[in-house]
Amino acid sequence: MSSQLERAGFTLLRALSKHADIVMQAYLSGHINDLEYDSNVIEKLIELGVLWRPEPGEDLRLRSTVRALLENSLRDERNRQLDTNIGTKLAAIKTVTNHYKESLHHKAYGDAEVYLEDLAEQVYTLVDSLKSSVRNLWRRIHNEFGYVASISAKIRENELAQSQLTQMRQQLEMFQFDELSKLAGSSRELRRLLVVQLQRSHSEISQELSLAQAKLIDLLGKFREYLHRSQLLKGFVLHQQQKPDYKVKDYSEQAKIPGLFNQAKAIMQPASIDVNNVEHELVYVDLVAHLKQVRHNQSLNQKLRQGQEFSLEDIESIDIESDGLKEAVESYFCQVIDSGQPMSALEYHRQLSLDFDREVWVYGVINGFGGLNQDEQEFFEIGMEGHPHPTFDGNFIIEDVELGLR
Amino acid sequence: MMSLKGRVMETLLSGGFICKTSDELAFQFLQNHEHLAEVERQLNTMNRTLASANDGNLYFCAYQTIDTDERKQLSVQFRDIASSLLPLAEWLVLVQETRGDNAPLTEGKVIRLAELQSVIEDTPAFVEQLAKIARYSLFNSTSSAVDAQLKQIFKRLVETGYLLRPNPDNQIYLATGKIDYLFDVIRFIDESENLGLEQQAELAIKQGDLL
Repeated sequence: MSSQLERAGFTLLRALSKHADIVMQAYLSGHINDLEYDSNVIEKLIELGVLWRPEPGEDLRLRSTVRALLENSLRDERNRQLDTNIGTKLAAIKTVTNHYKESLHHKAYGDAEVYLEDLAEQVYTLVDSLKSSVRNLWRRIHNEFGYVASISAKIRENELAQSQLTQMRQQLEMFQFDELSKLAGSSRELRRLLVVQLQRSHSEISQELSLAQAKLIDLLGKFREYLHRSQLLKGFVLHQQQKPDYKVKDYSEQAKIPGLFNQAKAIMQPASIDVNNVEHELVYVDLVAHLKQVRHNQSLNQKLRQGQEFSLEDIESIDIESDGLKEAVESYFCQVIDSGQPMSALEYHRQLSLDFDREVWVYGVINGFGGLNQDEQEFFEIGMEGHPHPTFDGNFIIEDVELGLR
Repeated sequence: MMSLKGRVMETLLSGGFICKTSDELAFQFLQNHEHLAEVERQLNTMNRTLASANDGNLYFCAYQTIDTDERKQLSVQFRDIASSLLPLAEWLVLVQETRGDNAPLTEGKVIRLAELQSVIEDTPAFVEQLAKIARYSLFNSTSSAVDAQLKQIFKRLVETGYLLRPNPDNQIYLATGKIDYLFDVIRFIDESENLGLEQQAELAIKQGDLL
């Protein structure tokens, strides 16, 4: 029997995990369209009691037990079901207790053990369901019914929670401990379960419930205040729109001015600097250092600000005056080309007795060569004549250059 | 360094409001009876007294006895309050509608400018409403862009003490107790002039004439 149950349980759990997407889809959107999924899978889930169809032709929905399982485990705040059916659970507990006592009486210890286990399960389930109801209440209180938007909806949710809470308290009154303790008799196990365990949870939960109730009433007051304010505001704006000539009465003219409008004039002005206070000297020095003296040249500014004339004409072509050195270098290059012979720059300088400084001339020639483009440079060959620097090696002092054709 | 009492006196005498959000220490200071009496004594020497609004959650400085000069001053101030009531009320309605939960702004609530802006920009009716509010002389915005209008409104609200910007690096604002003072004022006007504002609002909502 139990192995069969176990197998069925495995099948169910595996099906849940395998088709988690369908289950979650159904949980989140409330329903699923069976045409979107494999019909075999859907069939199996229906058979396992995960999904059901409320009406022929309707979409499939999750069974409430599966939904409750998810809501509880996911701490979903939309969960507002409270299990308030304590009476039947208590009745079940009493029944199982009687089974247990009877089997003890008949010395059927094996059966008694099973019944005791069952009883423990029943008691813990009851306690757990009470506790989760309280948790559920608190969760809703903590986020101030954040799952509904408007204040009026929050007020309705609050009222629902309050009625559930009242119901829970009424159900809690069904715990009659004198009866339970009489039922438990002298059995240690029964007393532990029925009296100690239940009593402790009972008092814990009652305390929690009264706290929750106070908080709910508090919240309700707050929501009502919000609603009141929001309507006050809207009413004021509406009133002004509907009666544009409405003016607020001048309450300051009344004999007794209402406290709200009695606001004294500001009399504090910033204090002034005491330059004789040595302690403050540092601050002043800093302040003075940050002062910027801005002097505007007003007359110049005026002139600059006025529009200036300009003409839209073609830009005149610009002549760059060629300087003597450049011309001389060019004629030196021409000389080398004409003669076809290599020639030292200084020699050319001497021959034509140019009046440039020798060093400037040599630089000019080097620049002239460097200024040619790659193709032109390939026609010429330039040789540097000079000597290394006597002290700083790696430096080469050029005394003369010789230019020739390749 | 100024003592806490000095700070409280300075805020009160410069026409400021003290609430838990704007200055928690100062507010706690005034919760103490001895401190309260001391501040009161000092204010009394200047014909002033400590007044509170919003069920004791907000303190400000009032005149002890009102004579001609004080009356003149109060009359100027009243005109200020009365003229800024409508723009502020419209702005509060806009904020509460954009938040979606229909909960009015109260002390300590957070407004994120970016969120507000994106909601407003998505809804043409809100854009229109905002433009109308921004044009009031209280806010005095000349821009036609939502972004600039909102920034100007928030800047003015911070200046007038209705909002607080705890961190100048981001656009997150806190409502101060002065917002609640505003509700007190509207409620007072409603009650003393028998306007029945709430009933009007309810009626309008029933008729589907939502703002």
